[in-house]
Amino acid sequence: MQMPEPDHSVIDRRDAICRDLCNLIADHCVVDSVEGRRAYDADGLSAYRQLPLAVVLPETVEQIAAVMKYCHSEGIKVVPRGAGTSLSGGALPLADAILVGLGKFNRILDIDYANRCVVAQPGVTNLAITHAVEADGFYYAPDPSSQIACSVGGNVAENSGGVHCLKYGLTTNNLLGIELVTIEGEILRLGGKHLDAGDYDLMGVMTGSEGLLGVVSEVTLRILQKPATQRALLVGFDDTGSAAEAVGDVIAAGIIPAGMEMMDGLAINAAEDFAKAGYPRGAAALLIIELDGPEIEVNTLIDRVTRIMDTAGASSLKVSNSEEERNLFWAGRKSAFPAVGRISPDYLCMDGTIPRRRLPDMMVRMASLSQKYGLRVANVFHAGDGNLHPLILFDANEAGELQRAEDFGADILRACVEMGGVLTGEHGVGVEKRDLMSIQFTEDDLKQQQRLKCAFDADHLLNPGKVFPHLHRCAELGRLHVHRGKMPFPDLPRF
Amino acid sequence: MIKATGLEDAAAVIADAMAKQQHLNVQSMATKSALGRNVSYDSYLDVSAFRGIRDYQPDELVLTVRAGTPMHEVEAALACANQMLAFEAPDLHKLLGTQSAGTIGGVLATNASGPRRITAGAARDYLLGFDAISGRGERFKSGGKVMKNVTGYDLSKLICGSYGTLAVFDEITFKTLPRPETNISLLFGCKNMAAAVAKITSVFASPHEPNAAAILPGSMAASAGIDVPGAMLVIIRLEGIDVSVTDRALHLLSADPSGTEIDESSSSALWQRIRDVELLVNQPGDVWKLSCAPAAAPNIIGAVQDQFDITFFADWAGGLLWLAGPPGASFGTALRAALADNGSGYAQLVRDQANTKTVISPFQPLSSAHYALHKRVKAAFDPLSVLNLGRMHDGI
Repeated sequence: MQMPEPDHSVIDRRDAICRDLCNLIADHCVVDSVEGRRAYDADGLSAYRQLPLAVVLPETVEQIAAVMKYCHSEGIKVVPRGAGTSLSGGALPLADAILVGLGKFNRILDIDYANRCVVAQPGVTNLAITHAVEADGFYYAPDPSSQIACSVGGNVAENSGGVHCLKYGLTTNNLLGIELVTIEGEILRLGGKHLDAGDYDLMGVMTGSEGLLGVVSEVTLRILQKPATQRALLVGFDDTGSAAEAVGDVIAAGIIPAGMEMMDGLAINAAEDFAKAGYPRGAAALLIIELDGPEIEVNTLIDRVTRIMDTAGASSLKVSNSEEERNLFWAGRKSAFPAVGRISPDYLCMDGTIPRRRLPDMMVRMASLSQKYGLRVANVFHAGDGNLHPLILFDANEAGELQRAEDFGADILRACVEMGGVLTGEHGVGVEKRDLMSIQFTEDDLKQQQRLKCAFDADHLLNPGKVFPHLHRCAELGRLHVHRGKMPFPDLPRF
Repeated sequence: MIKATGLEDAAAVIADAMAKQQHLNVQSMATKSALGRNVSYDSYLDVSAFRGIRDYQPDELVLTVRAGTPMHEVEAALACANQMLAFEAPDLHKLLGTQSAGTIGGVLATNASGPRRITAGAARDYLLGFDAISGRGERFKSGGKVMKNVTGYDLSKLICGSYGTLAVFDEITFKTLPRPETNISLLFGCKNMAAAVAKITSVFASPHEPNAAAILPGSMAASAGIDVPGAMLVIIRLEGIDVSVTDRALHLLSADPSGTEIDESSSSALWQRIRDVELLVNQPGDVWKLSCAPAAAPNIIGAVQDQFDITFFADWAGGLLWLAGPPGASFGTALRAALADNGSGYAQLVRDQANTKTVISPFQPLSSAHYALHKRVKAAFDPLSVLNLGRMHDGI
């Protein structure tokens, strides 16, 4: 992975820059030492590491603004970081960039039941929002699997999902307002406790922008009343095609489960070894279908889904009859990643989305790619929305295996796009999928996205080297080709 | 009037306008042209030929349709598969005095969302991807045709509610959802607006899954044929499978026996009137909509009622106020002042009876920093202001 060539004139000024930052905010908010910076040298995509130029840990929004303003005027790059759990390298440091960590922004500012929202600082963890309101019967719906550690500011940057987003949406669908700091150091509020923008939906476009447009300094999140009942079905199938069809049948019957997960044989056995969740070891595919809502509704829908599964040819079926049992069903799925970690020294977790009807084709393709690369692949899917998480097993100590695993992963993502899907469903592009963007998008598509970037950050100082394979200067992106005539108003700034 | 049959046509028209330094007013059925400021333009770009359903996979919950397709065609196709666009787009043709609900592209361009907005999301939450020509005359796409996608910037959000000022879109892909099997509504009388909002808050703090909530003054409810034992009427909608809806209604009514229940046909008819703002069609004056924090609604209404003779109702649990009041700038100014005194939100002029929009901005004015950023975003897509110049703000 080629990162942008570091600006050595900035690296050479490192000591002076650190002194400036200490003067600007406070000594204890600047991490200067090698050991201190080492803690920030990677995020959840730990195959890539880079020591940042310096780390700042501001304590107030004014301090964020001061750092941004300073970096903007000095031409220094900035990499924002929440909890550092990104799986795509969104918070990977750069040698010539200041890493701005939001870890000290860890307070919930307002719990507002009358307006059904929570205002929080960006460093608060996802799960802490639910913990703060669950005694009163509320919760925050997006539940990425890293929810115990990941921050809500990072959730906004990545537009994080989770197993329940089939019914409850991603971060973008549960976000009411943000405060952001621009690269110029301006503090802007978008949205609030009301719904919808009434102007350009800049909050919508900030969400999932992977730290390239601004630093989120506050969030207002929608909270929901907890469903009265949650029950799950554990359904085995002898072939993945029938399992995929059964998922479609549930939706065609007008039922939107809270979650609908699928695992293949390798993942089933790895998870069962690890969690002893009672998974059917002989099955080729396993579905976990969760229904939530009023008790009578859940029980009725459980009956309907059971009939659909029988008709679809399920080889085994269990329904949870207690919270312990439901949690046990999930225990295997939730431990799928560490469980796979036990059967292989290393694994790569991929994240593409396909139209669900192409799932059988994708399984065939993965099997043939697995043979081609000589590497095993275990599959867990958010089956309801077609989001795949193939886990490619490899051993980094074997020469060339990491490269083979990465090539295998890239081929899977190419197949996703070829089948009408996309490169990433919830993990983000970051550095991991950056160089594959041109598979999904034309050069014009990518240039238009970068023009939007120019509206927020004309000097490409915010998180460069992420998302876009080629960085175009904003002046170049703004050039117009006007037919049959000269460019009008040649002096107007354009980007 | 220049009629385009597809994006290549539209690109040529836009390129021509760029060369001639001209501006285009982009229209299809023109049912929403009253919304927003008057556009500065040299000619119309008619995109009504962008019509038809391209792909619909009900069990994938994905619909791809051309932007100029009339809403009634989209709704008919969805009904065949017992599905819907869950954001419940309002049909404002009676309020605006136009012929029909217009096109799906118009719904998208105005981010028009109805009563289910509070629980199911807005139009912007259901747009998965699109294919468009920018004001630079270049074709680009964003998003995709799958339900879960975070690849690149989410330009779908930006395009929704941009009133055609950034791009001309053709194919748009929406997430669809199954229609609920049934719905009923519960009616509660309350002594005033504050009590009505408190009632809604208590229902939303229960696990009985209300999916829409509105507040009507007693006189307006009476004109809709509903007797109210109080000054205000709270309407709570429950949707889902029959046994669930019945059970939830039972719980809510046993917790507050003052409530009454109306059946599916009455409930559907009432919510259609709320969604389409029919309750204000015959009121004189300008009509504004306010998006505010739901709990702020009583204070906002109180402040405005102190100054003006108004007719109003609330949707979105109090978070959307529809108000008819005297024509002219002073009413809108007072609405925005009341909003500013009570937290965040925006006020938009929807029906203008006396050229009010020439004396007050129909869109909430932007701070200088927000305006500068909006201008830069506009320039990123449409640097020469070819598309719908000035529809939203000066130069935007």
